[in-house]
Amino acid sequence: MTDSLLITGITLGYLLIVLAVGLRARRGQGSSLEGYVAGGRHMGLLVLFFILGAEIFSAFAFLGAPGWAYSKGAPALYIIAYLALAVIVWWLIAPYISRLGRRHGFLTQAEFLTACYPTRGNLLGLFIGIVSVLAMIPYLTIQIAGAGMLFEAATSGTIPFWLGSLLACGVVAAYVYASGLQGIGWTNLVQGVMMVVVAWFLGLATADQFFGGVGEMFREIQREAPEYLTMPGANGMGWGAFSTAILVSALGCVMWPHIFMKFYSARSERTLKRVFVLYPLYSYLLIPLLIIGFAGVVLLKDRPLDSPDQVLLTLVVEMANFPAWLIGLALSGALAAAMSTAANLAHTSATILVRDIGQHLPSLRGMGDDKALRLTRYGVVAISLAAYLLALANPGSLVALLLGAYGIVVQLLPMLLGALFWRRASRTGAFAGLAIGAALTLYFQLGGNPPFDWHAGFCGLVANAIVFVGVSLAASPMTQHTPAEALSPRS
Amino acid sequence: MNAPRKLPSTGMLIYFAVCALAMIWPGALVANRIEPLVMGLPFFVFWYVAWVFALFVGLVIAYRCEPMEEADDD
Repeated sequence: MTDSLLITGITLGYLLIVLAVGLRARRGQGSSLEGYVAGGRHMGLLVLFFILGAEIFSAFAFLGAPGWAYSKGAPALYIIAYLALAVIVWWLIAPYISRLGRRHGFLTQAEFLTACYPTRGNLLGLFIGIVSVLAMIPYLTIQIAGAGMLFEAATSGTIPFWLGSLLACGVVAAYVYASGLQGIGWTNLVQGVMMVVVAWFLGLATADQFFGGVGEMFREIQREAPEYLTMPGANGMGWGAFSTAILVSALGCVMWPHIFMKFYSARSERTLKRVFVLYPLYSYLLIPLLIIGFAGVVLLKDRPLDSPDQVLLTLVVEMANFPAWLIGLALSGALAAAMSTAANLAHTSATILVRDIGQHLPSLRGMGDDKALRLTRYGVVAISLAAYLLALANPGSLVALLLGAYGIVVQLLPMLLGALFWRRASRTGAFAGLAIGAALTLYFQLGGNPPFDWHAGFCGLVANAIVFVGVSLAASPMTQHTPAEALSPRS
Repeated sequence: MNAPRKLPSTGMLIYFAVCALAMIWPGALVANRIEPLVMGLPFFVFWYVAWVFALFVGLVIAYRCEPMEEADDD
């Protein structure tokens, strides 16, 4: 009992530190929408690095990733591969996004795409906005539910699920409401450092305590369950599924609105590129977490877990003989991963709700900067609350909604690349590709059998690109400029 | 100047493609084994650690080779 009080105390202390850092970031900040949403397009190397890191490493890093290593083995490496490869895509397109955003005043992904492919009544923008929010709210809900689960498990129930998720959600909503992207930036720095330190410490300590070292642990797995250490892993993930999952995740990563929109916030293109140079190293954060998952392969051989996602908690909280303060820090690190992603999701969803959906409603059309900022802030609170209630209700279709909506968002990639790099990219082609790609992805996600066991989204992307290119070639003559080049400057 | 024009160099694109192919089929096929353990990690796991580092090195070189003229836009 005293143990769980100590764990609770340490974790609450950590939450207070995060809250203080987040609220403090408000100082010296002007009150414009651009400042709130994009940090005045002045974010520097360090903060942007940790923002992009924190966005990617969510509750999944501490729960799902070890779960993959524990239940499947080597295929879990797909996460490391796609994170590293995603940087290539960022490297190639982010500087353009940043530059065009600055020049034309874009703050969201939909604004960029609708400017390149104009539609009557902002139809495309509305579509992108709605689908993005439909993808992000379940994602946010999963973070908040993850925080609640972590709290409950690590404190042995002293903090129940509803209270743990409320605490995490409340802290995040408070600093995002008050400080916008600045608040997210500085707290993500704190949370990022916390995550890295905790992950490495836990990974090495777990391997050391149970096996006497990482090498010894893998030797043991090699003797007892060698199938976990190479492809196709323990339950047979084929090379086709593995490779296309890496490709579609690496390519699609850039289309997550909360990542895409951060490109607008960079101080300069050099800053962005410096972030990307360092970024692949961030994926090493997963190594120790996968090590914990692999440890579970041997340690839990006799009593397999019902839910693989519990492997880290089971080993660290129940089986290892770690002191209470260490479990408190471990919980804080895992919460950091969930909360730092949640903050970005709430902030981005609110921005999209106001900029892409709200501003085009007849009653709100042409609202001023002040009003938009105020509405965005209310949006952060409303979305956090909605996600919290969803986490309590825990509807079973949440993951399906996330995958379905995100599957459609990824299909915007071909038209984005076309807008930036292809002079013959046509609007008709872009929309035809999007429609076919989205339909095919959803069909395969809902149970169709994809060819060669390929990832549903990958099949969609291939079809999308073929249709886009084919229709564009048939429809439009060669023009002088790509759609992005043809944009007229901000007046 | 109105727009994005400068495309990345061919050498860089080839290097990126090599990194990508090394981590998926067919490149990763050659590494699909446990022995030898490197730094305590099975060879297949180490392969990914090594290619992430190779990508990092490639990005450092690409960054250093870029012209520095891109001043801040604002």
